[in-house]
Amino acid sequence: MSRTIESVVAQVGSIILGKEHQIRLAIACLLARGHLLIEDIPGVGKTTLAHALATSLGMGFQRIQFTSDLLPADIIGVSIYNRDTGDFQFHAGPIFSQVVLADEVNRATPKAQSALLEAMEEHQVTTEGETRHLPEPFFVIATQNPSYQVGTFPLPESQLDRFLMRIHLGYPDSEAERALLQGENRRDLLAALKPAMRPQELAALQHRAQQVHSSSALLDYVQAIADHTRRTADYVNGLSPRAALALLHAARAWALMAERDHVVPEDVQAVLPAVVGHRLVRAGDVTKADGVDIADHLIKQVAIP
Amino acid sequence: MYGVLKNRLYTWLFQPRGRDRGAIVLVQRRVFILPTRQGLLFALVLLLMLTGSINYTLGLGFVLTFLLGALGVNAMIHTWRNLANLRVTGGRAQPVFAGDAAQFTVHLENGGDTDRYAIGLTRNRNNATFADVPARATVAAGIGIPAPRRGILRPGRLTLFTRFPLGLYYAWAYLELDIQCLVYPRPAFPGLPLPPALASAGAGAERGRGQEDFSGMRQYHVGDSLRHIAWKAAARDQGLLTKLFSGQSETELWLDWTQLPAQMGVEERLSHLARWVLDAHAAGLSFGLRLPGETVDLAGGAAQRERCLEVLALFESGK
Amino acid sequence: MTDPRQPIAWRHVAYLLLSLTMVAAPHVFYLRWWTIALVSALIAWRAYLGYARLALPSRWLLILVALGATLGVFISYRTIFGRDAGVALLVVMLGLKFLETRTLRDATLLIFLGYFLVITNFLRDQTIPTGFYMLACTLVITATMISLHYARAEPAFRVQLRMAGVLLAQSVPLMLVLFLLFPRVPGPLWGMPQDTFAGTSGLSDTMTPGSLSKLTLSDAVAFRVKFESSLPRRRHLYWRGPVMWDFDGRTWSVARFFYNTPLPKTEGEAVSYEVTLEPHNRRWMFALDIPGKVPPLAFISGDFQIYANQPVKNRVRYDMLSYLNASYGVSENRFALRRALNLPAGTNPRALELARSLREKHADDLPLVEAVLRMFRDQNFFYTLEPPLLGDHPVDEFLFKTRAGFCEHFASAFAVLMRGAGIPARIVTGYQGGDMNEFGNYLIVRQAEAHAWVEIWLRDRGWVRVDPTSVVSPLRVDSGISAAVPATDPLPFMVRGDIEWLRRLRLSWDFMANSWNQWVLGYTPERQRWLLGSVGIDNATWQKLTAILFFLAGVIVATLTALALRQLRRRVRDPVNAAYLRFCDKLRRKGLSRDPTEGPVDYARRVEGSRPDLKPAVAAITRLYVALRYGTERGTEALMDLQRRVRQFSA
Repeated sequence: MSRTIESVVAQVGSIILGKEHQIRLAIACLLARGHLLIEDIPGVGKTTLAHALATSLGMGFQRIQFTSDLLPADIIGVSIYNRDTGDFQFHAGPIFSQVVLADEVNRATPKAQSALLEAMEEHQVTTEGETRHLPEPFFVIATQNPSYQVGTFPLPESQLDRFLMRIHLGYPDSEAERALLQGENRRDLLAALKPAMRPQELAALQHRAQQVHSSSALLDYVQAIADHTRRTADYVNGLSPRAALALLHAARAWALMAERDHVVPEDVQAVLPAVVGHRLVRAGDVTKADGVDIADHLIKQVAIP
Repeated sequence: MYGVLKNRLYTWLFQPRGRDRGAIVLVQRRVFILPTRQGLLFALVLLLMLTGSINYTLGLGFVLTFLLGALGVNAMIHTWRNLANLRVTGGRAQPVFAGDAAQFTVHLENGGDTDRYAIGLTRNRNNATFADVPARATVAAGIGIPAPRRGILRPGRLTLFTRFPLGLYYAWAYLELDIQCLVYPRPAFPGLPLPPALASAGAGAERGRGQEDFSGMRQYHVGDSLRHIAWKAAARDQGLLTKLFSGQSETELWLDWTQLPAQMGVEERLSHLARWVLDAHAAGLSFGLRLPGETVDLAGGAAQRERCLEVLALFESGK
Repeated sequence: MTDPRQPIAWRHVAYLLLSLTMVAAPHVFYLRWWTIALVSALIAWRAYLGYARLALPSRWLLILVALGATLGVFISYRTIFGRDAGVALLVVMLGLKFLETRTLRDATLLIFLGYFLVITNFLRDQTIPTGFYMLACTLVITATMISLHYARAEPAFRVQLRMAGVLLAQSVPLMLVLFLLFPRVPGPLWGMPQDTFAGTSGLSDTMTPGSLSKLTLSDAVAFRVKFESSLPRRRHLYWRGPVMWDFDGRTWSVARFFYNTPLPKTEGEAVSYEVTLEPHNRRWMFALDIPGKVPPLAFISGDFQIYANQPVKNRVRYDMLSYLNASYGVSENRFALRRALNLPAGTNPRALELARSLREKHADDLPLVEAVLRMFRDQNFFYTLEPPLLGDHPVDEFLFKTRAGFCEHFASAFAVLMRGAGIPARIVTGYQGGDMNEFGNYLIVRQAEAHAWVEIWLRDRGWVRVDPTSVVSPLRVDSGISAAVPATDPLPFMVRGDIEWLRRLRLSWDFMANSWNQWVLGYTPERQRWLLGSVGIDNATWQKLTAILFFLAGVIVATLTALALRQLRRRVRDPVNAAYLRFCDKLRRKGLSRDPTEGPVDYARRVEGSRPDLKPAVAAITRLYVALRYGTERGTEALMDLQRRVRQFSA
């Protein structure tokens, strides 16, 4: 089972060079049935990663480019009057796909953003009084430009919470960049990509991730972390219960990828930057510290019980 | 000379150490203890009892006197223990308006196996809030501190103290916590009316409705704006449908420093701007803020309100 | 609620009421009725006001009541000082203070008054039961004091009681050190109130018919004696007390002057023993006939009475030496002998008549004495605790009419007959016998064992003891008073020895009481010196004592502080975690300490990195620990394996 995960990691890694940790986080996020937010400047391979992941995992893939004139209907779909039947017929939007890449999500207006986020949360969409279920598994990879860029609508903090993880890709190191420059066109590689996993396998892995044992000592640790963020004046707001749960789910998936049947504190610490980075804001911090900084600070503050 | 000596003594005794980031653990040398007035009275009563015992050669009188004397010594240990090794962290404080009291929270963590009672938190010994901290628990103690001026309010040196269990001793520790509270300018009352909003380019007659927020379609009714007829649908012979929009104003409301009367002072202007921010938020408008050297872009919602108030609070505060 | 100005709650008023009532209760038996009524009214008033949440009365009214009560005390006791008046005043003031108790400060003052009231109880009674009752009072007062200092949630009162118990129990070691080592100053510092010892029983300086038999109704202990060697025979146990020379026809009394001391001619071994005398507010100190030395702060008179320099108001302990066989007074002062023949004119004419006729029959002294004793033995004289009342000529009535009497009757009649026959005679009062306590191996002498006998002076032999009672009732001397008097006579319960288990019970009780007296109540400066001497600290000056005291107190305080700090630390109860922490501790000593925020796997990796030699052990321990603490492993074998590996692990 884990061999299939490793093969996915290897396959995606062959396209996104030098970013194995981020790829692993992305897969863990998927195994934990969470949604992923990739935040970085354009051109570092956000879209490529999403595409490669979807293809390697053998899932249907749709891409929505968010723009300022994007309407909720453009995401969800629209009912159109059918003159033959005298009826409204629903034309499904791109959201009805297993992997949805929401590109540059912060370029769209809040209204369009919230349509996406509601779908992510509910795993269903409701239009004109009718509820429609989204496919399973349903996995949104949203990409976002750093918020200080002009003409953006940064996602509100309350809605950031709906992403299980936020990762940064960052510039490739020089070795990876050299390989990138020397290698083939990424687009061609992507087109040649074959699924490395069957949908049933993915579903089974997701199920197993839920089964990973988390002892009470570990739960104590997760609670201690959440508690600490709520208590200290270091952060504007503490972690929500949903965030604590997200931390646990992510840690379970991470443990599964490390072929363990139980979670250890190191798993929590490994996923912590990706899970809490977008949920916590350092108090009095105008520059909005990086997720890694926040997590490092947090890890150093909370003793493992 | 006396003042210098007193300062030296203070420095030597209490070793003020500036603000502490993160947690403070009340280790031994941080906790000070002195007898209270009751404690001195207790000593006096014991002295009387001792004299009586000697005079009347009361064997049991000696026993009682010495037992109570030992109790007095033991009470000192217990009072000190009630505070010692407590882990104190500063909590966050919600922003307040100038003139209100800022509510600071201090978290008291008792890592040990003994309950602690009646731990007081005070700034000036006049009024204190008390908390009980059970074994292995963390309890928040709040303290209200008046915030007379806008800007950043720091509580200064707080005192954590206790007299428990017998009230014979006063044990205390000084806390220099790195906590702060944002104090918004006091909104003027009554304020000036909101400045007129500029209609954004291209916006039409239907004020109060946004164009980007498409919310669905319905059958055309007579009187609907022609601008909102779904012409594409009509072209596909789907009949006349009206596009529905909902949501915010698309007007541009700028709350501008220069819109205020020229004779107003800085604080008065900020006060009126704060009132405008509140009013604009209450009216559900989208607004921006222009101050000399600082601009907050147009936006709406609670986040915008807070951002604007924060800018007002910190205006020219050198931060 | 820890601001002194803060008002107290109704329940605190109730706790204060409880503790103060407990402390004041024993005083009820000694207070005047109006004091009790007044204080009860004040307390009831306060309780009602507290219950109904009404305002307390104005201070002026209370001052008026206080003045009135002071006046009342003065009228009742003719003073406002002294024990009884002082206690009455204190109790009234307590009630008044209670009525104006509003704030924590007032309540604290009441608590301190309560502690003070505890000590006033000891002025009357310092027995073991009182001690324990007062300890209970102290506990309740302390618990009340604790209850006043909660700020938020106040647990049930029993929690405060337990906490007070812990506080007091932890104070015991320091209390013991203070008790034993605090430099003791011999009291009193100023005069004792006159009424302190009213009501203590004991022998007096006069003897009238009935005075000793009244004393035998008391089972109070007169003194206790610990013999260094074996106990002398019971019939030698004559404890010498007041010696009476003067007779007015009815009452014998002690001479107010003393003749110079005639030295005794002693034979045989001296008996050494230690006497612990109960306070009796007189100056006599008792010793076996005849005393061979004088205790400190006392002197001995020519008739071998030992007088303390001050009335005995506290329990005193003294070493004594006595000669059971001695002759004394052979060359007695002739004024003294003349005095020993004095008889008042016109009283007891028939007795004098009898004496004269006996003198005519017997020229020598000894046969005369024999004849009188024979008369007592043969002529139906009767020994009883309840002798009939006697009129104007008590000796006559006793000798010729009632013929029933207690020792004072026989002694008095015998002495009168002797003097009438021209033989110098004097009455010696004291105690005869004693009750051996085998638990503590000491003799208890009770008031019930009061006795009177006669000494007559014979030429060449000096003063000779004659005990006419022993002739009438040999059992009195050989077996003690309970055997001698009829079972119907009202002997005190403690003196009767009919029931063996009861006797044993009361003896063991007396043993406890005696140890209590010796070590708690009788811990005097001398005792302190003796104790210190016995542990090798000779001539302890107060500086030396204070130094030792401070040293020991420091040790105790340090221990208590360390204990308190231990309680502040979190105990690790989980055996898995405890084992792992031991493992971490072993590594810490080698400079590889684990950061509290470092996970076990990371830690193991770091340790293995810097100490590759430890890799197998560290890896195994970490694997077991992770499996037990974070994994699904629950087996005891795994736990024991972990514990074993941690034990064997050494860096």
